Amino acid sequence: MASPVNMIQLLQGYLHVTTNRQQIVAANMANVDTPGYQTRDINFQQAMQQVVNGNNGPQLEPASLSVEGLPERPDGNNVNIDRESMVLSEAQLQYQMGVQLIEDQFHNVLTAIKE
Amino acid sequence: MGLFGMMGISASALSAERERAEVTSANLANAETTHTDSGGPYVRKEVVFSAANSSPFQTVFNGLDSMEQPSGSVQINQIVNDQTPPVMRYEPGNPDADEKGYVAYPAINPVSEMVDLMDATRAYQLNASAINAAKQMIQESIGILKTT
Repeated sequence: MASPVNMIQLLQGYLHVTTNRQQIVAANMANVDTPGYQTRDINFQQAMQQVVNGNNGPQLEPASLSVEGLPERPDGNNVNIDRESMVLSEAQLQYQMGVQLIEDQFHNVLTAIKE
Repeated sequence: MGLFGMMGISASALSAERERAEVTSANLANAETTHTDSGGPYVRKEVVFSAANSSPFQTVFNGLDSMEQPSGSVQINQIVNDQTPPVMRYEPGNPDADEKGYVAYPAINPVSEMVDLMDATRAYQLNASAINAAKQMIQESIGILKTT
């Protein structure tokens, strides 16, 4: 079983990935009226793989990529407000879950100290 | 960067959308203005947005220097004048009428301005809710400190 410290490090990486995703969603929402702006997102799986493999080198932000298959408006902008709102709440809940799990890990450590 | 960077991005959108609403209100207010300091009728104005520092290189680079505007934020590129010619109305009694009795009115359609204003309001609300999401996430992470 993974030690609480390892778990906390993993969860920290998870929070980092969800925060990055959240930030990209904020950028998409900010550019909802920018002509020619293309919706971006991160590859969640790839970013999590990096965290799990313990890539401790100089941390580059996960490269964001354009999202394919969204209908484009005449001004070349393809931001879909419904999609962004959905991803925003999704990332928010994921973040909440990560925080809860970290709190749980700390709680376990505290219990081990007290017992 | 991170959650505070996210708030910075949304805040840039709030100010950009507010500016847009301001320009749209000015257009609405001056829909019947036939006389300006520069002569001639009021000219309809429109804002053009552009994404700031949106390239992937800039994203990494800005992580090193937190003073820069966060990548992905939006800014007002320019405010352009609408080139549509003014609408001529026959009003011989108007002091701004030309020798044939026609008055040049700005080519402003109040309906499309209202739609633009609603659009700006909705975009403002959208970004305000993104800021609320970031705030809530920051507060949750503060909650880790309260573990007992």
